[in-house]
Amino acid sequence: MNVIKKRTSLLLVLGLAVMVQSSYAFDDDFNSVVKIIERFYGVKHESIPFLAKAGMKVAITAARVKGGTARRLAEAGSVKVAIFEDQSFTGDITKFRTVLNDSLTDTWSPLIQTLSVPNREQCYIFLRNNGDKFNVLVVTLDPGDATVVQVTLSAKNLALLMKDPDGMGKALTDDATIVDQ
Amino acid sequence: MKSLFHHNYLKLLIATSFLTMAVQISQAQTPRLQLNSLDHLAAKASETVDVSIDERLIQTAIKIFKDEDPDEREIKKLVSGLKGIYVKSFEFEKEGEYTTADLQAVRVQLQDPAWSRIVNVSSKKDGNIEVYLRMHNDQIIGLAVLSAELKELTIVNLIGPVDLEKLTKLEGRMGVPELGIEPTKPKTKNEQ
Repeated sequence: MNVIKKRTSLLLVLGLAVMVQSSYAFDDDFNSVVKIIERFYGVKHESIPFLAKAGMKVAITAARVKGGTARRLAEAGSVKVAIFEDQSFTGDITKFRTVLNDSLTDTWSPLIQTLSVPNREQCYIFLRNNGDKFNVLVVTLDPGDATVVQVTLSAKNLALLMKDPDGMGKALTDDATIVDQ
Repeated sequence: MKSLFHHNYLKLLIATSFLTMAVQISQAQTPRLQLNSLDHLAAKASETVDVSIDERLIQTAIKIFKDEDPDEREIKKLVSGLKGIYVKSFEFEKEGEYTTADLQAVRVQLQDPAWSRIVNVSSKKDGNIEVYLRMHNDQIIGLAVLSAELKELTIVNLIGPVDLEKLTKLEGRMGVPELGIEPTKPKTKNEQ
């Protein structure tokens, strides 16, 4: 009996360890993208977990009042935002794209990537399954600012994203970063 | 001992050669075009768009798109059976920012006999548009569009059973750009 108990406990511990490790790996991708930006461009980000939560609340309220665009994020399960404000993002855009893709493509699928070298604008959207939901990672950079947003989307919202990847990707970043609605 | 080493080394060499050949054959048989050779154009382009929707994402889309929504129902119908949607598009501020040499690596792949060019296709946009179908045992397994305008270059690669009609219906959806493709109608006797 004791042997069975010991084995069950061992299995439980092992299972928990795997769960913790995989969730750490999931979280780690967001952080590693932030670190890649910091290292590549020599900048520092601002973490805004509370603002993001406030943003979610505002989005939910706005969704109730007016429906429409804000509703998209309101259904998201979680949101992580890192913002780089008033900093300089000068560097080889195509090289940055390679570095970013190399670090993510094992676990994430690149959905759409938009670059504008003269305007120094970049937008990357990556997707991955997370149980019955989906994680979307949106990285946007312009000459002075950058944003990394990771949201968990329901299947319904993913459908919207897949129908119009470019438009919806921008909307996700806007909804996650604009608190004053 | 030395002969054992040689024997093992020979085995390894043969295995590696077979593996390399197998990889080359499988790459040659796939309707997926290798477009990495165009990546350097991003540095010259005013805008670059890279869309990549693989089979897993398409299957996800099919599962999540609802039949009650007419738009989603149509997209679902269009993409079912597809194994990939890949788009690379470059917009340039000036003419002459890309050359025919830049396209050579893509053209070489399309010269494979399994690809055949559809000739009766035109575009509402200015420039040259070429549409290719990849066949396998009389079945379409892939489609490629090469749209070369003076200031814009677009390559669309769809994997799976897809025809021109499906492609035109997918324009503006699922990351496929508006190509303005229209099949040219055969001329009537009066028009000739």
